[in-house]
Amino acid sequence: MPPVGNIPEESNCSLCNIGWFPSADPVPFLTHHRERLRRLWVSGRRKRGFDVRSFGTGSHVKLPGPAPDKPNVYDFKTTYVQMYNDLVRKDKELYTQNGILHMLDRNKRIKSKPERFQSCKDMFDLVITCEERVYDQVLEDLNSREQETLQSVHVINVDIQDNHEEATLGAFLICELCQCIQHTDDMEDEMDELIQEFEEKSNRPFLHTVCFY
Amino acid sequence: MDSEDEGTQPRVVDMTTSERVVDLLNQAALIPTDEKLTVLKQVQELIINKDPSLLDNFLDELIAFQTDKSIEVRKFVIGFIEEACKRDNELLLRLIANLNMLLKDDSVNVVKKAILTLTQMYKVSLQWLVRSKAVSERQEACWDLVTQMKGDVLALLDSENDGVRTHAIKFTESLIVTLSPRTSDSDVPKRQESDISLDKVPRDHSYIRYNVLCEEGKAALEKLLKFMVHPAITSINLTTTLGSLATIARQRPMFMSEVVQAYETLHANLPPTLAKSQVSSVRKNLKLHLVAVLKHPCSLEFQGQIGTLLLDLGMAQSEITRSTPAPREQRKRPRHEEYTEGKKVKMEPALNEDDEDKEEPALLLVPKPAAVPVAQSSIDLTAEFLHPLLSPDNVANLVLISMVYLPDVMPASFQATYTPVESAGTDAQIKHLARLMATQMTAAGIGPGLEQCKAREDDAMKDEGNDEDSVAKDPFIKRKAAMVGQAISVLGGYEKEKTPPPEAPAPVVKRLPEPIVPTGQTKMAGPSGRKKVFRLSDVVQPFSEAEIEKLTSKAIRRILHAEKTIAQSGMAHIRVKLLSKLVTQFEGMMKEDVLEFILEDIRARSDLAFSLLYQEYNTYLSHLPTGRLDSYDHCLYTLLSGLQEKPEQRDGLFTKLVLEAPLITESALDVIRRYCEDESRVYLGMTTLKELIVKRPSRQFQYLHVLLDLSSHEKEKVRTTALAFLKRMYEKDHLRDYIEKFALNYMQLLVHPNPPSLLFGADKDTEVAAPWTEETVRQCLFLYLSLLPLNHRMVHELASVYTEAIADIKRSVLRAIEQPIRGMGMNSPELLLLVENCPKGAETLVTRCLHILTDKVPPSPELVERVRDLYHKRVPDVRFLIPVINGLEKNEVIQALPKLIKLNPIVVKEVFNRLLGTQHSEGSSSVSPLTPGDLLIALHNIDSTKCDMKSIIKATNLCFGEKNVYTSEVLAVVMQQLMEQSPLPILLMRTVIQSLTMYPRLGGFVMNILSRLIAKQVWKYPKVWEGFVKCCQRTKPQSFSVLLQLPPAQLASVFERCPEMREPLLQHVLSFTLHQQAHIPASLMVVLEAHKKPEPKPVEPVVEKEMDPVPAPVEDKAPTVTLEGPETPEQPQPAAVREEEEPMEHEQPAPVMQEETVDTVSKEELTRAEEPQSSQPEPAEELMEESQPDPSDLQEPVENVEAGVKEPETGSGGEDVE
Repeated sequence: MPPVGNIPEESNCSLCNIGWFPSADPVPFLTHHRERLRRLWVSGRRKRGFDVRSFGTGSHVKLPGPAPDKPNVYDFKTTYVQMYNDLVRKDKELYTQNGILHMLDRNKRIKSKPERFQSCKDMFDLVITCEERVYDQVLEDLNSREQETLQSVHVINVDIQDNHEEATLGAFLICELCQCIQHTDDMEDEMDELIQEFEEKSNRPFLHTVCFY
Repeated sequence: MDSEDEGTQPRVVDMTTSERVVDLLNQAALIPTDEKLTVLKQVQELIINKDPSLLDNFLDELIAFQTDKSIEVRKFVIGFIEEACKRDNELLLRLIANLNMLLKDDSVNVVKKAILTLTQMYKVSLQWLVRSKAVSERQEACWDLVTQMKGDVLALLDSENDGVRTHAIKFTESLIVTLSPRTSDSDVPKRQESDISLDKVPRDHSYIRYNVLCEEGKAALEKLLKFMVHPAITSINLTTTLGSLATIARQRPMFMSEVVQAYETLHANLPPTLAKSQVSSVRKNLKLHLVAVLKHPCSLEFQGQIGTLLLDLGMAQSEITRSTPAPREQRKRPRHEEYTEGKKVKMEPALNEDDEDKEEPALLLVPKPAAVPVAQSSIDLTAEFLHPLLSPDNVANLVLISMVYLPDVMPASFQATYTPVESAGTDAQIKHLARLMATQMTAAGIGPGLEQCKAREDDAMKDEGNDEDSVAKDPFIKRKAAMVGQAISVLGGYEKEKTPPPEAPAPVVKRLPEPIVPTGQTKMAGPSGRKKVFRLSDVVQPFSEAEIEKLTSKAIRRILHAEKTIAQSGMAHIRVKLLSKLVTQFEGMMKEDVLEFILEDIRARSDLAFSLLYQEYNTYLSHLPTGRLDSYDHCLYTLLSGLQEKPEQRDGLFTKLVLEAPLITESALDVIRRYCEDESRVYLGMTTLKELIVKRPSRQFQYLHVLLDLSSHEKEKVRTTALAFLKRMYEKDHLRDYIEKFALNYMQLLVHPNPPSLLFGADKDTEVAAPWTEETVRQCLFLYLSLLPLNHRMVHELASVYTEAIADIKRSVLRAIEQPIRGMGMNSPELLLLVENCPKGAETLVTRCLHILTDKVPPSPELVERVRDLYHKRVPDVRFLIPVINGLEKNEVIQALPKLIKLNPIVVKEVFNRLLGTQHSEGSSSVSPLTPGDLLIALHNIDSTKCDMKSIIKATNLCFGEKNVYTSEVLAVVMQQLMEQSPLPILLMRTVIQSLTMYPRLGGFVMNILSRLIAKQVWKYPKVWEGFVKCCQRTKPQSFSVLLQLPPAQLASVFERCPEMREPLLQHVLSFTLHQQAHIPASLMVVLEAHKKPEPKPVEPVVEKEMDPVPAPVEDKAPTVTLEGPETPEQPQPAAVREEEEPMEHEQPAPVMQEETVDTVSKEELTRAEEPQSSQPEPAEELMEESQPDPSDLQEPVENVEAGVKEPETGSGGEDVE
């Protein structure tokens, strides 16, 4: 069972920036292998492939289109390669300029196609969302599942607005948060304080809850 | 194993599953955590899923990992326990205690995992027990333990760790669900369909009590509810609890009213500690869970309240409606009622357990279930009570009053929850307000509803009083649980202590399951795992030697390094005692560790050092007949060497250690010796050694020997210090013999032809054939010589060794003895005895001693007496006399002179120095028996038969060399005395001429002498006459008046010798006044004026005449010869001297060498004298040269007048005879 951190993405275009940022530059997320990871972290080795996975929570994958009201919509079965090819065919220049092709190019190297959180049965230690709506969806999904192991999963939401600057800042914020969580001796015991600290520092509201598998 | 026929896979790898498991386990023992986990998971897969028959076999090996250092591995073990127990419930008996141990693990993460597993295990074990037909005692014990653990986890709701509390909440949730009956309207997750719940517990179970469990479940719920309203609850705990309550409400609708009410209370009283965002999170959760509850069909009853809450939480009415179950479900409600009743039915028999009635008899109001509606109705009642009172006026007043109580800052929770009241003033809104207030009042414990409820509850309590049985049962269970608790804590500690025999007999048998505790064995699992394939029984193994060693040394180390801490507590002495006892008891590394530790700061840790040392000795003593000193020796040796190798310390710790050590071993003595050899510490070292010698009489000679050995050490400082100490010790009677013997033995070594290897220390493996060197000789003598001044008797030993030793050694000895001999002094009877006895062959030694003694001090009469004795009676070697020469009588010296002056010139010089007092400042001259004049006169009077003229001349030359001594006055006196002698000494005129040369102002005096010589008829002594003429020649014209006094014949003789003198003399006379000339006899004038040939003739006859009377003494020719041809006889002379000297060293093999010896010695001695000597040769030579002309001048005429020369000589000889 892969220990996985999660950032919902591809649910709509507003989250794209965030969505691919961590996946391209994997942020070390806390996992239940905390002890080991902490050691790795302390010894300064950023082990690649800390289980960070990104998901969408919507029913479709939406990518920005030629106009705000004309997004490109794909279902979750479409691979990145297919999306890439589709957009190249549609307007290579536009999608090169707005970075979508670049993003897709990177994503396809990481996995073949987007995943939907609701369909993923793997267990995570930490889920991070960047929009309250997504947070609600995650919570709803997690609570609707039948409890079995009672293993806990922390869900955190940081609202990141839909523009480049915010996305970059937000990505760094999340990255830092993850690092801090990584550094804690006892994540569950210190999470509350940590989030409040971040809230104060970033001057953004955080949502935080715990769910159980 | 029967697993072999399973699957083909094992065969493919050529391994049975069992073998593979063993292999994997062996691997797991040695690899890092990551891989270990992978391997262990494989093992788990193999023995749980692939071949469960192996599970039992390898259970212990896997459980052994529960003490692994890695948290992940421990967590794995927990997972394994869960899987194993699920697979085979019987394993609960063995594993539950292990889970209990892990539940108390140090790591929070392990504890959390254990809680999660216990959540499952609780259900599993309950189910297992319920299924069992006959419950064994072990099973009962197992259940007791599970119950105990359940209590522990519930207590963890108060844990300090947020995560642990969260897990405890989830456990509580699951517990509540399990310990309550499932009903038809229960939401049952598919996976949990088969899970046990209270309804599956038979009420007639032999051990499990239905009603007890039911009560426990309710108590858990109460606890949870109480937990939630704690004002300081964290947001995560709150969120968790909200979720748990929702789950409970849906799975056990019977608790829905409590849940909804709790939600309501919470909503109105969010904890003040929550931050703003946390409030949002909580509210979000609350909404979510409310919706979830609302969706449940049984929510009908609470839809109003839930709806209002949801509205308050900002949910649109439409959405609420969407979430509300369809009205058709309303029909379920009666069913719900039914089931509620059903539940009550089940509760009821629990109360009347004895009835054993499975039927569902008439419902009674049972206290606990009743409590729920009561609580609800208390709010309801209060709300109903408030509703009519909430008129606009009242409300306005309330608002105004409460304004006073508003906080300064708006609480985050208020800010978050505040929504503008849309439907203000409507009945619904008033109802809602009433309800809100009622909730608050109830929570605060006031209000009419609450009072009514209380009254009702009291009634119920009375009812409950009937249930004697259940009450009776409870304490029993509780007591048992308490005992179990006790046992557990003991078990948790260690397995050594078993459950103490309790008072009640039943629990004795029913011991709680014990955990499989292989603890330290984990690491050894590899090797032992191999064996265990065949035998499980030998699981428990003693630690390996290495392991024991490691553990003990670690323990010791901890004690060692707790130094400061213990010192602060004032228990340092106990630590020291403990350490020394422990260390001496066990062999091994720790001894080294402790010693090393001590040496790191020996000053501060000396008490430990001593304690250890005594302990070691004690151990030795206690095994005395066979005991070995090795350990003690090692300890002492290490400590001493450590101290020895350390840089200088002035604290005398080394000494202290040596002196206080109960026993000094050989190796310790070696260290002491090394310490003494260190030049910087030699004094301290030897003081220590001395103390040892004095204070440890039993082995004092052993210690003394070390000191003695050091007395010939190559380092001077070591040696001298050792000698100083030995000298002091020599004064002690009981040590004296030993020291003396050692010294003599050492000296005795000198008689060997080659130095014994003993002298070269053990390390230098020199061939024995090495020759003696100055060094080695001295080595043998150091001790002896330093003792000699203390014990003079020993001097005779030296003499006897000396006679036997070879020349080289003799020389070295002579050089070495100066100090001690001088130290003895010339009054030493033993030394005098030595002089007196003077063993054959020791003459040089004795001489040397005499020289040393008299070097600076005049000889004592006793010494002189002894020497004189020796000289006269035993060894007539004149050289003995030299040192004491100033102590001799005048005539003795004069007697010895001829022999003395024949010695080596250097020796002669020394003799003269002594005699003339020119050698040393301290007025030995006054002591000299001879005045310088006496000496010179004595020289002139030496019988030429006893000594050759050459030596005499040389001796006189030495005198003339001492210008300071032989002043003109002294010489005048000498000349005067010599001139008065009769016959005249041969060398008289030589001395006169030499004196004149030295002091020209003596001219007048000399003229006087010459005149008086004429009166003494000087011409009768040919040699003197010759000199007379010569002198006149030299002193013309002063001498003219003297010449004129000569009789004419003699004057003619003069002219004959020096014809050139005549004319000047004649002129001289002619220059006289006539009156004066008249005084010149005519005969003389004839001689003066005569040029005639016949004139010389008359002279000859005179000479011949003179010769006549002395024809007889022919012997005298020899001196004449020597005078005339000084060169020729010189050669044989030294030889003669040598021969004469030789008698002194009769038996010496190398007399020449011996001679050298003496020479060098005297050289050494005379270093001071040598300097003037070396400067003197020149004047001496000058003198010789000056005097040389004399003989040559003399020679010429002698050649011319051979006969004439002879004649006066014979004449003189004749006069001698006369």
